Amino acid sequence: MTSRTGLAPLFALLLASWAMPAGAQTTKSVSIIPVQSLSFGLLLPGHRESVRTSDVSRRAVVALAGDDPVDVTLVLPTAMETPTGERIRLSFSAGDAALLTTSGSTISTLDPLQVNRVQFGNDRTVLFVLGGTAVTAATTRPGHYTARVALLVNRPGT
Amino acid sequence: MNRSLRLIAALGMLALPAAAQAQSITGSIAASADIATVFSFGVPSALNFGSITPNTAANASGYIPLSRNVGVIYSLPDGASTGQLTGPGGTITPSYTCGVGSTNAAITSAFSSCAATGNVLTLGTPTGLVNEFVIFNGSLTAAQTNTAPGTYSGTIRVTATPN
Repeated sequence: MTSRTGLAPLFALLLASWAMPAGAQTTKSVSIIPVQSLSFGLLLPGHRESVRTSDVSRRAVVALAGDDPVDVTLVLPTAMETPTGERIRLSFSAGDAALLTTSGSTISTLDPLQVNRVQFGNDRTVLFVLGGTAVTAATTRPGHYTARVALLVNRPGT
Repeated sequence: MNRSLRLIAALGMLALPAAAQAQSITGSIAASADIATVFSFGVPSALNFGSITPNTAANASGYIPLSRNVGVIYSLPDGASTGQLTGPGGTITPSYTCGVGSTNAAITSAFSSCAATGNVLTLGTPTGLVNEFVIFNGSLTAAQTNTAPGTYSGTIRVTATPN
C-alpha cells in the first residue's frame, strides 16, 4: 500500500513529461512546404549559369510556417548528377538565399552557407528562396542532371 | 517497488528526448538542369573558283562549320549531282575531295564519296563540344574551263544527322 502511494507522484510526473511534447507539437510546430524546385533549365556545355533569388521562375521556394524563431541550415550539394554519374558543378555563395514575405517582399538576404535564424511574422509563414550557380564544362554530356538540397530546421537551443 | 520505480523513471527519460527531437525537422529541395544537345551548322564559306582564264586549270575550297556534342552521320542528298556547275556552256562537274576537318584548312576524316547518295561518313560522340568543318576541295581541268564564257554555279548540299 505504501509503495502504491509512492508511485502516484511518479505517474503524475511521467504524464506531465508526455504532455509537454504534445503541447509543443501542436502549438509550436514548424512546417516545411516545398513550393518550387531550383531549376537551371536548358544549359549549354562550357557555360556558367546563375539563378538569382529574384528569378521567380527558376529559384527554389520553400514555405516555412511556425511561431517561434527557428534556425535553418542547408546541406548544399556540390554537383548535380545524371543517373550514370555525370556531373555539373554547383556553387553557392552569400546572397544566394533570401527570406520573403508571402506577398513576395524581401525580408532579408541570407548566406546559404551559414545557419540562418528565421523569425516568423504575424502571418506565421515566410518564404525561403534559394538560387545558385551551375558550371558546365565543354565536356558535359547532354542529359538531365539533378541534386537535392537538404533543409534542416531547428529550434534555437535544441 | 524499486524495480517499478526504475522502469517508470526510464520511461520518463525516454519521453524527454522525444520532445527534443520534435523541435527539429528536415525538408529537401530539388535542383535540376538539362544539358542541351548541340548540333548546328554555322555560316558556310562558298567554294568559289573565281574568274578563270579559259583553258586553264582552277582549284577552290569551301567549307561549312558544324558544332556538335553528339555523334553525326553525313550524307549527300544530291548524290552524283552534288556540286555540279551549270552555266551558258552546259554542266561542268568538278572533281572533289571532301570530308571533315578540325580546322577549315585540312580534311582529317574523308567522305567515302563526294558524289554518292547515302551515308558518306559517320563520326562518334565526341568527349565534349566540338567545332568541325565539312570541307570540299574542287578542281577543274583546263579542258573543263575551255567552254562558253559566263557564270557557272551549283550547290553542294550536305546533310548532317545526329547519331
